[in-house]
Amino acid sequence: MKDYKGFTIFEIIALFFSYSKLNLKTTLEYKFDRVLLAFAIFCREMVSVIVMYLILTRFVRIKGWEMNEMLFLYSFLFLSYCIFVFIFTGIRDFDGMVYSGDLDRFLIRPLGLMYQVIASRVDYCATIGHGAVGIILFIKTSGDIGIQWTASNIAYYLTALIGGAIIQAALFMLSSCFSFWTIRTTNLRNLIFFNSRRFAGYPISFYPVIIQKLLIFVVPFAFVSFFPSQYFLRKTDMNMFWDGYLYLTPVVGVVMFFLVYKLWTVGLKNYSSSGNSM
Amino acid sequence: MIRAYLEVAKKSFQNNITYRMDYFAGVINTIVMIFVNISIWKAIYEEEEVVGGVQFKIIMAYLVLSFLLQNIFTMEDYLIEGRVTTGLISSDLLKPMSFRLYVFSYNIGSLVFKAVMQLLPAMIVTVALFGMLPPFSASMFIYFLISVVLGYLVLYNLNFIIWISSFWFYFTFSLVTIKDAAVMILSGALIPLWFMPQWLYEFIKLTPFDSIFFVPISIYLGQIPAEEVFTSIIKQVAWVAVLGLVGHILWKAATKKLVVQGG
Repeated sequence: MKDYKGFTIFEIIALFFSYSKLNLKTTLEYKFDRVLLAFAIFCREMVSVIVMYLILTRFVRIKGWEMNEMLFLYSFLFLSYCIFVFIFTGIRDFDGMVYSGDLDRFLIRPLGLMYQVIASRVDYCATIGHGAVGIILFIKTSGDIGIQWTASNIAYYLTALIGGAIIQAALFMLSSCFSFWTIRTTNLRNLIFFNSRRFAGYPISFYPVIIQKLLIFVVPFAFVSFFPSQYFLRKTDMNMFWDGYLYLTPVVGVVMFFLVYKLWTVGLKNYSSSGNSM
Repeated sequence: MIRAYLEVAKKSFQNNITYRMDYFAGVINTIVMIFVNISIWKAIYEEEEVVGGVQFKIIMAYLVLSFLLQNIFTMEDYLIEGRVTTGLISSDLLKPMSFRLYVFSYNIGSLVFKAVMQLLPAMIVTVALFGMLPPFSASMFIYFLISVVLGYLVLYNLNFIIWISSFWFYFTFSLVTIKDAAVMILSGALIPLWFMPQWLYEFIKLTPFDSIFFVPISIYLGQIPAEEVFTSIIKQVAWVAVLGLVGHILWKAATKKLVVQGG
C-alpha cells in the first residue's frame, strides 16, 4: 500500500467522502435557499439555450448545423463544467481562500495542499444547475443525431467530458497561481473564461480565423465542445481543421494541467501569508 | 434638497471609477457579446439574403443597440440588500432624505458613469467594426430617446420590486438572477421579438418586458409603424406607473415590517 504523507489511500478516499458529506450538510442547512439558488443558476444558463432554440426554430439550420446537433455541441459545455465545478470548486474559489487566510489553516495540516483545496469545497448548486441543463440537452439530442452508442463511443464521450473538465480546471488554476504573489486575477479570469465559453457554445467555424485560433491554441475551449461533438457528427466544416484535433481533448487537458500544476508548486514555495489568518 | 441627491449620484459615479478592472470587463463583455451574436447571425444570413423581410443590416443594428443599452441599463442589484442585511437601513430611514430617491440617484450616478465611460468606447469600437444604421428618421430618433428613458424606468421599477424582496428574503441573488433570465429572453434583448413564434410574441406584448429593450430599438429602426409609435410609448408609460405602484405598495409593507421588528 502506497503511503501518502503517512495515510493509506483508503484513508485518503474516506476522508474525501467525509469532506463531501460535510459540504452536503452545509448546503442542506438552508434547503429552500439552496434549491432556489440551483434553480436560478439553471435559469441563467438556460437563457442562451432558449435563444439558440428560438433561432433554430425559425431558421432550421445554420451552416448545415441543425437544432439537435447544435444543442448536442452545447451540452458538452454544461456537462463538462458540471464535472469541473463538482471537483474543483476549491480551485475556483482559491483567491478567496488566500485572502481570508483559510489557506494558512490548510498549510499546517498534515495533508497535501491541493488535496485539501479540492476536497474542502463543493458548490452543489452550480453543479446541479449546470448539470441539469446539460442532462436535458443530452437527453433531447443524443438519440436523435445518428450516434451509435457503442462501447467505444461511450468511452470517447466520457473521456472527452473529463478532458473538457480538466481543461477548464487548468484555466482556473492558472489564475489561482497568481494569488500566491497576491495578484488578484479573478475578474480577468472571469472575463477571459466566460467570454471564451460564450464563443464555444456555437461551432467555431462561425467565427473569423483569428477567433478559431484563439479557441484552439490560447484558451482551448474548442476542445471542450467543438471537437468532441465533431467526432460524433462529422459536419463538413470539420474539413477546415486537422483531423487529429478530434482526439486531443484529454491530451490538451492533461498537458495543460501538468504545466499549470508545476507553476502552482513554484507559487506555493514563494507564498508568504497575507497575515490575517485566525 | 436636490443637491443632496446629486451628491449621491456623484458618489456612485466615483465608486464606479475605483473598480478599474470591472470597468474594462464591462466594455470588453459588451464588445464580445456583440461580436459573438453578429457572427452567429452572419452565419444564418450566409444562406439566405433576406429572412422574414428583415435584412441583415437591421439585425446587426438591432443587436448593437441592444447590447449597448443592456450595458448602460445594468443596475446596482444588491444596494438595498446590503443595507437591509447590515441593518444600516434603519439609520437610512432616519435620514432627512427619501431612501427610495437615494437608491434612484445612486443608480443614475452609475448610469451616467456607464454612458460616458463604457458606452462611448464600446460604441466607437463596434461602429468602426460593424457600421451602424442611422435612425429611421429624425422624429423617430426623438421618440427613440424618449422610449429609452421609459424603458429604463420600466426596468428600474421592475428591479425595485425584486430588490424590496430583501426585506423578506436574506439573499436575493437567486431572485435577481431569475429576473435577469426572464428579462433577457422576454425583452428581446438577445433575439428580435419578430423572430419568435407568434403565440410567444402575442404573450410578451401583454407583459412589461417588451417595453424595456424591444420597443425603443424597434422605434429607432422604424420597425414600428408611425401610427403605432405613440401607443407603444403610452404602453411604456402605463407599465412604469403600474410597476411603480406595485413597488410603492411593497415598500410600504416592507417599512412597516421593519418597524414591527423594531429595526
